[in-house]
Amino acid sequence: MLDDVSLDVASGEVLALLGENGAGKSTLMNVLCGLVKPDAGVLELGGERIDLAQWGPRAALAHAVGMVHQHSALVPALTVAENLRFGDPQAGLWFHPRAEQRAAEALSRRFGLEVPVGRRVEDLSPGQRQRAEILRALGRGARLLILDEPTAVLTPNEASALFSAVRRLCEAGRAVIFISHKLSEVEAVADRVTILRRGRVVASLAVRDLAARELGRLMLGRDLPPLARRAPPAPRSGEPALALQGLSTSGASEASRLRGLALEVFAGEIVGLVGIDGNGQRELEEVLAGVRRPSAGEVRVAGRRVALQPRALRRAGLAHLSGDRESAGLVRGMSLAQNFILKGSWDDRRFFRHGRIDQAAARRATQAAAQRFGIVPPDPDLDIALLSGGNAQKLAVARELDGEPAVLVAVNPTRGLDVGSARFVHEQLLARSAAGGAVLLLSTELDEVLALADRLLALVRGELREIEAGADRAAIGALLLGAGAG
Amino acid sequence: MSDALLALLSGSVGSLAAWEATLRETTPLLITGLAVALAFRGGVWNIGAEGQLLAGALCATIVATRWCVDAPAWLLVPAVALAGAFGGALFGGIAGGLRAARGVSEVISTILLNFVAGSLVALAIQGPLQEAARAYPKSDPFPAAALLPSLGRVHVGLLVALALVWLAHVLVFRTAFGFRLRAVGLAPKAARFAGISPERIALTTLVLSGALAGLAGAFEVAGVTGQLYAGLSAGTGYTAIAVALLARLQPLWVIPSALLFGALEAGAAAMQREAGVPAVVTQIVQGAVILLAVGVSIGRRRARPRLDRASAEAG
Repeated sequence: MLDDVSLDVASGEVLALLGENGAGKSTLMNVLCGLVKPDAGVLELGGERIDLAQWGPRAALAHAVGMVHQHSALVPALTVAENLRFGDPQAGLWFHPRAEQRAAEALSRRFGLEVPVGRRVEDLSPGQRQRAEILRALGRGARLLILDEPTAVLTPNEASALFSAVRRLCEAGRAVIFISHKLSEVEAVADRVTILRRGRVVASLAVRDLAARELGRLMLGRDLPPLARRAPPAPRSGEPALALQGLSTSGASEASRLRGLALEVFAGEIVGLVGIDGNGQRELEEVLAGVRRPSAGEVRVAGRRVALQPRALRRAGLAHLSGDRESAGLVRGMSLAQNFILKGSWDDRRFFRHGRIDQAAARRATQAAAQRFGIVPPDPDLDIALLSGGNAQKLAVARELDGEPAVLVAVNPTRGLDVGSARFVHEQLLARSAAGGAVLLLSTELDEVLALADRLLALVRGELREIEAGADRAAIGALLLGAGAG
Repeated sequence: MSDALLALLSGSVGSLAAWEATLRETTPLLITGLAVALAFRGGVWNIGAEGQLLAGALCATIVATRWCVDAPAWLLVPAVALAGAFGGALFGGIAGGLRAARGVSEVISTILLNFVAGSLVALAIQGPLQEAARAYPKSDPFPAAALLPSLGRVHVGLLVALALVWLAHVLVFRTAFGFRLRAVGLAPKAARFAGISPERIALTTLVLSGALAGLAGAFEVAGVTGQLYAGLSAGTGYTAIAVALLARLQPLWVIPSALLFGALEAGAAAMQREAGVPAVVTQIVQGAVILLAVGVSIGRRRARPRLDRASAEAG
């Protein structure tokens, strides 16, 4: 997957590693921390040439290479201080809670990374959790720190706090490799940038030397035209296409309980709902997908009350699109065609008649959809597990838009997608609303919502807050965080 | 050693009588193996084929020796078969209902129901169903009209079993129900978002699977033993799990898989008789076959090509 890649980073420097999904960023970093053995190449750390045959996770640790993965590798039930000790090869047999806590606090102060070391990881916000991860890598003596898409789970404010923490680490003489596919972040934090495309380095240069537009072209290998905005929606008239009234639920936690939600989405409109994970997004999605029963309230589609079950909602013209593969209703182990017809097994007469499946019709429809949506490879009999995330997501989009639903609920619809695929999904959302569909967009990506939505709302601790038109990112971030994820 | 293997072979496939013995052992394994394969396909871990088989045999015995003793054969044989399916479906349904209503793991409930079924059989043959002479703990012999028609020592249940294999194949791969069943088995959460209720699928599947196993029990009492006694099954419902796994949960592959285990069972008896090798040795062989089958299937999963990465690189 990597082809003759060279990379260097100096002490006290932040190197940003940019690239599409599948460009080879993660593979390269896995080589650095010893998880993947390269076929050929040379590694030098601090002037010492390292035998790659001896290179492995332990050697990486011994040579002070620390990695903070995208998904938290901390034990949720243990405190931060305990996590710092957990798996430390230098740790002895005994554990002194107070001494460990003092050591963790000292470390936290030394690098200016504010973490409540005595609290359990499961009680921390995503931002705190990430700082704890960084602290753990530093606690092992990491001099080269690799951060894999660290802002994916953070609010704008938490992200800028992370950037200043990274700057402080550099001042303390550490080297940082910062993986991202967001151009704005690279400009905010990095000194130099290396861009990968299809396993090769296509550019390596100082950040101040290039413009954002050029970065995009280097990453994609082509120009990405700005998203074409459609005309503003026609003035509202009549019944809202989707109306929530007094929706309340139980929740995974106290903060994520929905508290009497009321919301209207009109035809031709995209309503954006931003929020941090754990503030009720998941619960709202589940209610609108029909898999969670609310404790109070109702959902109306085109003025008519709908039973909150997947089949009834679908029949009423509400489609649900999710960036999470399982919520999206994609079944790994089934073919593209079978996934395409999955939601129709009760009432879709095109594919199911008299209890039998019409395989040929399913194949034809899938092939047509694959062509229209550019799914690669367009083989309807292929197991969907063999597709890349972007292509699997395209199939989900194709399926949900297939019936031209009156209401589309899209939840983090571009999670894990590269820039090209994300752009495709965005265009489809805009097209649906231009064709008179009502779109409710729930997303943790503020940029996405700002780019698409006609109207913005924030979901904070299970309640909706209006966001004024033209509010800037900092103000929105403060609103999201204000009522606190902590 | 070679004597033993020779006895195993000649006792399972070496003569017409040996083939008859093999096919007789194969029939219940075919039906229960199918029952297990169907359930596992839907992600329902039915370990209770043994109990469902016994429950089926018990219900069949009630019908044949107590309720409809004097009925003619054209009525009694189907009634016995239906009673068997009903008994198994009832036991499967209890486990399915517990899971749907209370979230009780079917692994636990079906295992426990195996004990319940075994004890019910023991109770019945020492009480209400005991033979008129009251000498041994076994039921009255079935009336002639209740016995399955047979060719030599192979009863008609084998043909029914083969038909059921084909039906199950169609059910799993060609019908909307089978489609939902597979979806739930592969990704229950994704299925729920697609409007398919895993609980309801689990209940239906357990009833179906139990009915099949119960039918196998009815065929055993009405086709082979002609009466109900405590040692009727001797682990058929557990061997069925091995049969299903070796068939990789494909209904059509249950045929060769059941045949293999049926031959092992039949050969084991001959081996014990003629070479003095204890029959438990074949159980060891069966165990080895299962481990091998499971190992191979895991190995294949690991070796699956990772096309997604390759295509991501290219796209």
